[in-house]
Amino acid sequence: MPRVASVIALVTLVSNACGGHEPRETPRQSAAAARVSAPQDTSFAGTTAPVQRASRPGTPPRVLRGVTAASGPGYDRVVFEFAEDSVPGYHVEYTTKPVRRCGSGDPVTVAGAGKLVVRFEPAQAHDERGNSTIAERERTLGLPAAKDMKLICDFEGQVEWVLGVVAAGPYRVLDSPGGGRGGGRVVVDIRHHP
Amino acid sequence: MTARLTAVVIALVAACREAPVEPCPSLRVAGIAAERAAPVARATPFDSAFAAAGAEFHVPPALLKAIGWVETRWEMVQGAEEFAGRAPAFGVMALRGTALERGAARAAVTPEAARRDPLANIRAAAALLDAFADEAAIDRSRTGQWSDVIARYSEIERPDGRAAYTREVDRALGGASPPLGQAPAAAPIACQPPPGSGGAPDYGPAVWRPSPNFNARPSDSTGRVHLLIIHTCESNYASCWSWLVNPASQASVHYVVSEDGDEISQLVHEGDRAWHIAATYDCTLNRRHDCWLNGVQSNDFTTGIEHAGFASQGSFPTSQIEASAALACDVTRDRGIPRDWQHIVGHGQLQPANRTDPGPNWPWTTYLHRVQALCGETVVDDSAPFNDPALAAAVVPDAWSASDSTPGYYGGGYRWASTQSDATDGAAFSFRLAAPASRAVDARWTSGTNRSPQAAYAVISSAGDTLALVRVDQRTGGGGWRALGTWAFPAGWNRVVLLRGGAAGSVVVADALRVRQ
Repeated sequence: MPRVASVIALVTLVSNACGGHEPRETPRQSAAAARVSAPQDTSFAGTTAPVQRASRPGTPPRVLRGVTAASGPGYDRVVFEFAEDSVPGYHVEYTTKPVRRCGSGDPVTVAGAGKLVVRFEPAQAHDERGNSTIAERERTLGLPAAKDMKLICDFEGQVEWVLGVVAAGPYRVLDSPGGGRGGGRVVVDIRHHP
Repeated sequence: MTARLTAVVIALVAACREAPVEPCPSLRVAGIAAERAAPVARATPFDSAFAAAGAEFHVPPALLKAIGWVETRWEMVQGAEEFAGRAPAFGVMALRGTALERGAARAAVTPEAARRDPLANIRAAAALLDAFADEAAIDRSRTGQWSDVIARYSEIERPDGRAAYTREVDRALGGASPPLGQAPAAAPIACQPPPGSGGAPDYGPAVWRPSPNFNARPSDSTGRVHLLIIHTCESNYASCWSWLVNPASQASVHYVVSEDGDEISQLVHEGDRAWHIAATYDCTLNRRHDCWLNGVQSNDFTTGIEHAGFASQGSFPTSQIEASAALACDVTRDRGIPRDWQHIVGHGQLQPANRTDPGPNWPWTTYLHRVQALCGETVVDDSAPFNDPALAAAVVPDAWSASDSTPGYYGGGYRWASTQSDATDGAAFSFRLAAPASRAVDARWTSGTNRSPQAAYAVISSAGDTLALVRVDQRTGGGGWRALGTWAFPAGWNRVVLLRGGAAGSVVVADALRVRQ
């Protein structure tokens, strides 16, 4: 597929998955991400180091309302969409330690050789009535880089996912505000393994 | 309270009694709820609006006010969409979506006015309640029927959630007198736990809201309940417990204490393993206490108490602390958990990598003192910061060295001094009694081979009389409370002095003293 066409395909795919519009992403923290001119850039260097952005103290929890994943040329994209216009703090990091559910402490396994942990705080994936706000808490992705993802924490203001990836390769994190009706987003792009 | 309001309260109480799936109602923590005025008795900037809208739409103004308190604590909120499919809430009455539009139309105001203008918002809510009352064909003179209207207004689908909402409204109306569920005729029926729930709460005043998120503790010594973990929910009370009873949460806790402590939910039996702390135990995070548990999953041997609120908040309501302390006293007494700094600890302390709760402003010293006091004991530590100055004080000679090198101490460490045959000094632990009383006295030290086998404690009354001289072998028995004896003490500041005098070549350790009923 020609490059332009594939880019259009990716944008269409992600846009459809995320509510019909593609706000401009704002790179955070990652120096590699800062050089990226557009989210569909397939040549970003990425990083394997932790990427984080702190929230302001006293910020109320953001409510995760959707998670989508798609593959494009050169990388897989996972989008976390929140009900508010702004996003919570986040911390993204590969781990080699056992991953455990934050309530029970039970170990969680994922496919692939790499475990990318994505933590949001303050955040929750349930509403004030105790109902989940997302449809799936475990998903098989089957993408070139990202194989599956599991929610390992939705407790005490933390939402934490672990992404099972083929290898602990470069990734970047982007975030963008919503458009006035919620929809703040955090995007994790994981480069395809060469 | 007006006659009409009283009628509403009584009617709501009656309605709650009749709910077939109602869990055991809270008996309310004694003395706390009753000491405070009902929320509707407080003045708000919207009182005239509640009165006018109530009169216009034939809805009890106090009911409007109570719903406003439950929904927003009488603040004009401008909600954001919480999640897909649930419209944001607006105004004092937290109107949202089609309900807002319907109420606004019935009150002849625009939806935008109902969102932004307090008067329009309250009128729209009153109009909506008026419509619900019409549709339910309730007899408004029989105010007991309002409970169904209130439940409908909540838009909550779960029966227990609707019941909880209705109880909150009742509480706002001053329903503490008479407390829900305390009517003798209703108690046997209302206090039956829901079918399949697995029984009644361990803590009598708690509401039993069973969570499916638990499993069995290990059957060996690692499964013995040993520590009490203090948490904050990072949310409000209803959101906290309702999420933790949802199997999707994969998390739970034994107890949840409401913001003002007037209700406690029990979700998991104390004997079962709730899912509230992910960390495996690391004794270096807990004063090197019980290092044999290192690597054990902390849920195995802990009991958890969540508190509605946030680790970041600047303070915690006194009534919440008091209710939690009463609960903690009950748990520690039933489970044989010592009430000290190694056994009542924060989630963040044991899981510092990603937790801070209950946060820097949890009043640890006050809390622990209240737990102890409610269980009838006073502890005198060698260090002033760990003492309640109204009840306990220690005077230790400067020459006695401070240390924390041997674990098992109370508070932040202990003091020690070498024995000497002609020494006359000692470490004095003083405690105040308001009236003459018989008290058991326990001492605490840390053990070691260099400790004195004949450490002497002089028990001295407030009148200056030496009641006893008790010798203990400090080479063993450290890290816990060891009984010295029971004496009749007069009122005032009595004291127990650990003496340094004795054959040279060993040390005496002054850590703490416990006085108990």
